[in-house]
Amino acid sequence: MTNHWIDLQHSDVVLIQGSNAAENHPISFKWLMKAKERGAKIIHVDPRFTRTSARADFHTSLRSGTDIAFLGGMIKYILENEKYFKDYVVNYTNASFIVDERFDFKDGLFSGYDPTTRKYDKSTWAYKKDANGIPEKDFTLQNPRCVFQLLKKHYSRYDLEKVSSITGTPVGDLKTVYEMYSSTGVKDKAGTVMYALGQTQHTTAVQNIRTLCMIQLLLGNIGICGGGVNAMRGEPNVQGSTDFAILSSYIPGYLPAPQASLKTLDEYLKRITPKSADPRSANWQQNYPKYMVSLLKAWYGDKATKENDFGYSWVPKLDDGQDCTILNMIDNMYEKKIKGLIVIAQNPTVSLPNADKVREAMTHLDWFVHVNIFDNETASFWKGPGLDPKKIKTEVFLLPAAASVEKQGSQANSGRWVQWKYEAAKAPGDAIYTGDIVIRMVTKLKELYKKEGGATPEPILNLKWDYADEKGRFDPLKVARTVNGYFLEDITIGDKTYKKGECVPSFTLLQADGKTSSGCWINSGSFAQDGTNLMARRKKDDPTGLGLYPQWSWAWPVNRRIIYNRASVDLSGKPYNPKRPLLAWVDGKWVGDVPDGPWPPMEDTKNGKYPFIMKPDGVSSLFGPGLGDGPFPEHYEPLEGPMAKNLLSSQMNSPIIKIFTKECDKYARCDPRFPFVMTTYSSTEHWCTGAITRWQSWLTEAQPQVYVEISEELAQIQGIKNGEKVKVESARGSLTCVAMVTTRFRPFKCGDQIIHQVGMTYNYGWLFPRDCGDTANLLTPTVGEGNTGTPEYKAFMVNVKKV
Amino acid sequence: MKVTRREFLVGSGTLIGGLTLSSLGINLEPIIAYADEMKKIDKVRSARQSTSICCYCAVGCGLICSTDTKTGKIINIEGDPEHPINEGTLCAKGAGIFQTTAANEHRLTKVLYRAPYSDNWQEKTWDWAITRIAKNIKATRDASFIAKNSKGQVVNRVETIAHMGSSNVDSEECWLITAMARSLGIVYIDHQARV
Amino acid sequence: MPNGKSILVDTSLCTACRGCQVACKQWNNLPGTKTKQIGTYQNPQDFSAFTWKLVRFAEGKNGNGKPYWYFFSDMCRHCMEPPCAETIQGFVKGGVIRDEATGAVVYTEKTKTVPFEKVRSSCPYDIPRQNPKTKVMAKCTMCIERIKNNMIPACAKSCPTGAVVFGDRSQILAKAEKRVAELKKSYPEAMAINAEDVRVIYIVTDDPQKYWKHAAA
Repeated sequence: MTNHWIDLQHSDVVLIQGSNAAENHPISFKWLMKAKERGAKIIHVDPRFTRTSARADFHTSLRSGTDIAFLGGMIKYILENEKYFKDYVVNYTNASFIVDERFDFKDGLFSGYDPTTRKYDKSTWAYKKDANGIPEKDFTLQNPRCVFQLLKKHYSRYDLEKVSSITGTPVGDLKTVYEMYSSTGVKDKAGTVMYALGQTQHTTAVQNIRTLCMIQLLLGNIGICGGGVNAMRGEPNVQGSTDFAILSSYIPGYLPAPQASLKTLDEYLKRITPKSADPRSANWQQNYPKYMVSLLKAWYGDKATKENDFGYSWVPKLDDGQDCTILNMIDNMYEKKIKGLIVIAQNPTVSLPNADKVREAMTHLDWFVHVNIFDNETASFWKGPGLDPKKIKTEVFLLPAAASVEKQGSQANSGRWVQWKYEAAKAPGDAIYTGDIVIRMVTKLKELYKKEGGATPEPILNLKWDYADEKGRFDPLKVARTVNGYFLEDITIGDKTYKKGECVPSFTLLQADGKTSSGCWINSGSFAQDGTNLMARRKKDDPTGLGLYPQWSWAWPVNRRIIYNRASVDLSGKPYNPKRPLLAWVDGKWVGDVPDGPWPPMEDTKNGKYPFIMKPDGVSSLFGPGLGDGPFPEHYEPLEGPMAKNLLSSQMNSPIIKIFTKECDKYARCDPRFPFVMTTYSSTEHWCTGAITRWQSWLTEAQPQVYVEISEELAQIQGIKNGEKVKVESARGSLTCVAMVTTRFRPFKCGDQIIHQVGMTYNYGWLFPRDCGDTANLLTPTVGEGNTGTPEYKAFMVNVKKV
Repeated sequence: MKVTRREFLVGSGTLIGGLTLSSLGINLEPIIAYADEMKKIDKVRSARQSTSICCYCAVGCGLICSTDTKTGKIINIEGDPEHPINEGTLCAKGAGIFQTTAANEHRLTKVLYRAPYSDNWQEKTWDWAITRIAKNIKATRDASFIAKNSKGQVVNRVETIAHMGSSNVDSEECWLITAMARSLGIVYIDHQARV
Repeated sequence: MPNGKSILVDTSLCTACRGCQVACKQWNNLPGTKTKQIGTYQNPQDFSAFTWKLVRFAEGKNGNGKPYWYFFSDMCRHCMEPPCAETIQGFVKGGVIRDEATGAVVYTEKTKTVPFEKVRSSCPYDIPRQNPKTKVMAKCTMCIERIKNNMIPACAKSCPTGAVVFGDRSQILAKAEKRVAELKKSYPEAMAINAEDVRVIYIVTDDPQKYWKHAAA
């Protein structure tokens, strides 16, 4: 989230699209109901009428997979009706930038597409630059080649009738949503967008979210109280795990994972450090070398020296363009290329798409290590339905772990609050912290490599590994301080001297010369210089009265509670909305939230800086050349959809998605065998795959068995009654479940077609309780989004028939 | 962290006026049907209170855990009324977190091992399991480690071992996981953030 | 306070998160029972000796064809003049406590000697249930032990949106009146159900029958 949970109360209009917040982030509604008390309106756009819709002021539905069409129509409405916040757009976005003459868009494709490689050559997605290398700009926004005009041209195609034919949303409803939401494009109104996996689990996911961002930028809603682009993360610590990069494409702190062609640290640092010729751009990423070197020092300690490139060669490198994300991982497992797998606290045979493929792939492993607090379908994959253990050679280790309340450590919530928690009790029996398990594994490996040698042992032997206490147990505070960072020698920065061993109180003090270490720069500052754990704070002071609670816990970065907050003031540093003074420039300094950089407001032409400090140009991107599928979001159909044509262009699907081609990966588009759109989701009572919650009788009592929600209209056509057993089938698999016939789904009128949609939770698996059902992911397709590889769980095709 | 009794006892969702013990009328102790509840309230009042954070949706609601000082077991988990986000409230999952503790008979308490082609679990010791796992990792890594790719570039990676998870463990554990995976040269690393 | 305590259940604020349903189980050590999916989010289907707080779901279509989904966090009303208490007292002394300070209606073990059906049918809201083994009757206790210890009932504590609020009866009645007046601007049918007769007062925005057949007496 750019903002945070409590801040939702300050919104005037809330757009919940791609989220079922009342069901999956229930306590968010504490703050949304407070907003309503103050007169706010809540809009819910969702294929289904859910518990969120029941509390919204306005609900409308759209066919799964059509968010860009819906939101593109809103962009058109905002531009044509001049609902945008002009000052904000001119000063804080790249609306004024002049785009390269060669940039073009035709019939669903941007300039530079190569259909054989399924990739774009992005060289035409560039700005015209002046002699100093700074983008040329037209602040009147009239130049036909400026971003603003190109934006207008692009979305001129998203008229109401076209959008309605694609989304199935009635024209009247589209107008209502556009009017309600664009009313926040004025100084004293704040609009917030709340989204979750309803936006991320599509082949156009990143562009879906981009569209929401662009709307927020046009309306001046980013950086302000009650505004923001609020991604509601789905797991207790997925923010932390993302920050610390349990991912192939990043290393901690969002530094890109190094590629093979970047042979030295210097080459890597050059590549990842953008340059900006504009002195008014803070270009904060220019500090990346400090963070990378500090990370290497955290990993390798004294073994990382200037002479050995701080251990850069020990960090594993991907070949240029190599994709090791989850769908490729499973595909390689399926092809028997992966011999060993470690899965910690995750249940992929229930949560990953095309579950039969995943379950088959597991049987190809030589060895498998699983860590969890309960058994689950993945740990016990070898005795799953249809499998004969006598034919499965995998050695399986199921290691008992401590539960969350049995552990001291931090968790980062969606609002970037890194909250410290305590050990309420020891884990039962032989269960131990996951941290202890990892420490023991690495300690043993170091022992073996020291004793026996082996393939390139240096990265293992040189890994700094002193995270246990004097009794040999995992010490979370030691790790937390390592992550925060230390000064490795006495050092004077500016007019302050820091001593060796002291905690680095802010990432602004990290160095690129090896004198500091930090496991993740964005967490730097979670400890004070004197070692106080700021994440554990419990002070309820709220000086701004806006619910920031700056001394309750600690937020990254540097305890800034709303990011991009320098966009909440005008060029002189006065808050656009004096009723919600998040930040103000008073008597030569910033007052309120931690400012997004200490520089004066932009009116100070010498020292002022643009507000979007993480972008090389310093302003936010309406035109976004950084993505793989286009600088403007464009509607494409889901891989498996009901339409014979994309009504907006000849390009049916996202042009860069990877299509898997094995027999088990087959998909069926516009196929009479699978005529209904299906979407998958979770429920309030169960947690994701149910791996933790299905063992709990109070929760399973409330939601005992898998069901498919279908409209009354569809039920009548298929002759299905509420509560009857039905079979749901896709091109990949099937499962039986209970039919829930409901008024909360309705058929979509998409042009001349009536399209039916159904939905199911993925909260169930075959292991426990015995009769609860199995996973909806037996049905989902093997396809991921083009930039990230996130699977398209939210839109595919099925049939539903009586059993 | 120790939470004061006052912090624990105050709750939101109340329009309570003053309520003193002396105004509570008759002594219910000898005849109340639910002796369990009576014991529970006394146990909870005398328990060690500590704070935690909910293990589910990323709103990050605050919890108060009451731990029996005699048995060391958690006996009650409720919302933390002081926490500015949830103010003591919890949804169904948070309200039921007690069922993730040792009180749940299904909790894994032993190291389990399934041998090749076997149809059951065996109990093992930690030492045995860690040693065997480490040997497996080393054998697989040594057999297929790629020091240089076909272009002769130093890559120091292994493609025959993969890692998944987790967004369900503490950040300090995540950091160790990522350090472990990278030090081994694993590149197939992923978890719930993408899924 | 002479008029005791009350609980306000404002269904217009409820998101059916089931925090109340589970919090009640957690506090009172009530077991989860075996249920089946019969085509509704609601489970269990009914109160029992082990379910004293039950979120009921009711869906349909409005006049304008749009769906509605009503949530009714059902519980004992702790009536001002509870008919179940009268019935029980007719059979045995000490079978039911009517707490002076709060007005909470609490069953004791002595209810096992009382004919259950007579008690159940005396309740206009169909609340009382019986443990099939011990024959002891069971229902919400208003968390009387929590109240005695300066805590609020588990359900009220858990509710994130303020749909379940506990307090002094006079304040609850005032709050209910204010809220109904406000809701009437958008929902002319809004009402507080049986406010004079019960301590647990429900606010609805539509005909109570649409929520649950026993929502109103």
